[in-house]
Amino acid sequence: MEINRDQLVKVVPSPRDFIFLDRDACDGCGNCVVICPMDLWKIRKGQATLASKYRGSCLECGSCYLACDRGAIDFTYPPGGSGVTYERT
Amino acid sequence: MKSYDLIVVGAGPGGSAAALTAAEAGLRTLLLERAESPGEKNASGFALSSKAWRDFPFIREMELPSMRWCRKCVAHFLSPPPEMEERFAVSSGPSRRMSYPEARDFFTVGMLRREFDPHLAGLAVGAGAELRTRSLVTGLVRESGRVVGVTVEGGEEFRAPVTIGADGVLSPVARLAGLREKWRPHEVTSVCIIDFKASREVMDDVIHDAGFQAYFGPGMGGNFLIAYTDGVHVGGPGVTNSLVSRVVRSRSKPARELLETVAAPPLQRLLRAIRAEPLEWQAHCLSWMDRMPENIHCGGLMLVGDAAGLPEPLYAEGVWQAMYSGRLAAEVAVEALEERDTSAAFLASYRERLQESPVGQEFVAGVQLRQLFELLGDPEACGELEEMAVDLAVHLLMSGQEPKAEAMARVFPILMENIPTVTTLARIYLPLLLQVGEEKLRFYSALARGLRRLLERFPWEL
Repeated sequence: MEINRDQLVKVVPSPRDFIFLDRDACDGCGNCVVICPMDLWKIRKGQATLASKYRGSCLECGSCYLACDRGAIDFTYPPGGSGVTYERT
Repeated sequence: MKSYDLIVVGAGPGGSAAALTAAEAGLRTLLLERAESPGEKNASGFALSSKAWRDFPFIREMELPSMRWCRKCVAHFLSPPPEMEERFAVSSGPSRRMSYPEARDFFTVGMLRREFDPHLAGLAVGAGAELRTRSLVTGLVRESGRVVGVTVEGGEEFRAPVTIGADGVLSPVARLAGLREKWRPHEVTSVCIIDFKASREVMDDVIHDAGFQAYFGPGMGGNFLIAYTDGVHVGGPGVTNSLVSRVVRSRSKPARELLETVAAPPLQRLLRAIRAEPLEWQAHCLSWMDRMPENIHCGGLMLVGDAAGLPEPLYAEGVWQAMYSGRLAAEVAVEALEERDTSAAFLASYRERLQESPVGQEFVAGVQLRQLFELLGDPEACGELEEMAVDLAVHLLMSGQEPKAEAMARVFPILMENIPTVTTLARIYLPLLLQVGEEKLRFYSALARGLRRLLERFPWEL
């Protein structure tokens, strides 16, 4: 049975950013890469990089923010009415 | 700027229970929700325990299309990868020894948050609460060190002498109030869930009332399957393997672990049997504390549910805790308004009463409960436990392959060989017993009942 994650999420893209990376604080440990359920983080040149499409595919679980022990990732929520919707339709 | 008696942030089960209680008590209550409608932000994988039927009249009256009553719990123990076949299983109905009638009838009811949350919010609105959706709280208003209101994105301000933060595990309200920056990696789990749609008729035949099933195995840590009327949610990894501190240490992706479990042959056979089709991929973090959290209130503000870190220390069950704490916080808010005292000192009674309540009692021996679950997540210890269980079950009950008496006589040597495993369990269980004894839970009365039955039944004359 094929589980294609990208096809199994519905997200109303956020009109603004809601995850912020402090490049000076990031040491490229990769905790965010390991924990993201949508594989939205990568390590490039020793630093975490967030996929540009994240506003339209992030599940707002906050795992990257919680796993970052350098405090380099800040997570807020997308504006009311946007972001992930679990509708089961 | 509009004024209310109480502002509740978050229309999940905790927030709606708080708003319902407050509105019924006559408080002008504002319920703020960031989603388009309540429930659409919440990963399901949700089974409401019979405790909710004991404690909430509105739950006893509830009927939702997705509800499937679970009168059988199944724990499957799988062999390690790559086989991942079932080695041992325990399946049980509810125990007649449970302390209230609902618990003697069923374990849980599986249902969808997409139905449950709007239902509860609807009850709060019916009682007079004002629900505002699409409203993300981005600031708190303070006066003389107390929280006296909130601002939502766009700048609109709402005022009330008391605010209840029911805004989930990441709780922006807790953060804005300075009660907590974020949970530490060993206090929070990251869980993925796959939602499958299935044929209702086939579900009735194949799953029936076995609505809660867990999949353990060496290194797997306990994935779960929860059944609804016409589908199942498979979630994982289990709480120990999804603990953020464990994930970053092991470098094992929670998403991959769940997909591996779903690919295990026993689960694949079940999913094929119910003609399951994947519908949705979800992810959610759950706070997972081994003791009752401390900083859950300040002047003018109380935190409830996941925002307060209340999911219990074994399975991280949290919806009943959210409703219970929400109702209690609203009751304290009503008293605070009557006494015209919303100070941190007055609201401290919320935490004190919560600690004494069944929610607080869930944290008794929390350290040992977490050790027990960690044992099941440990590849070596879980493997040994699994093989011991297989040996005992086969030699006691299923020994058709050898002379029965000879097989049964081997039970004692099997236990002796497994002294290290039994000792590990005893090392967790005995301190748990001691703490329960110290907390004067129902232990002593059960012991007395057992002794009384022994005295009545045993043929002492022999």
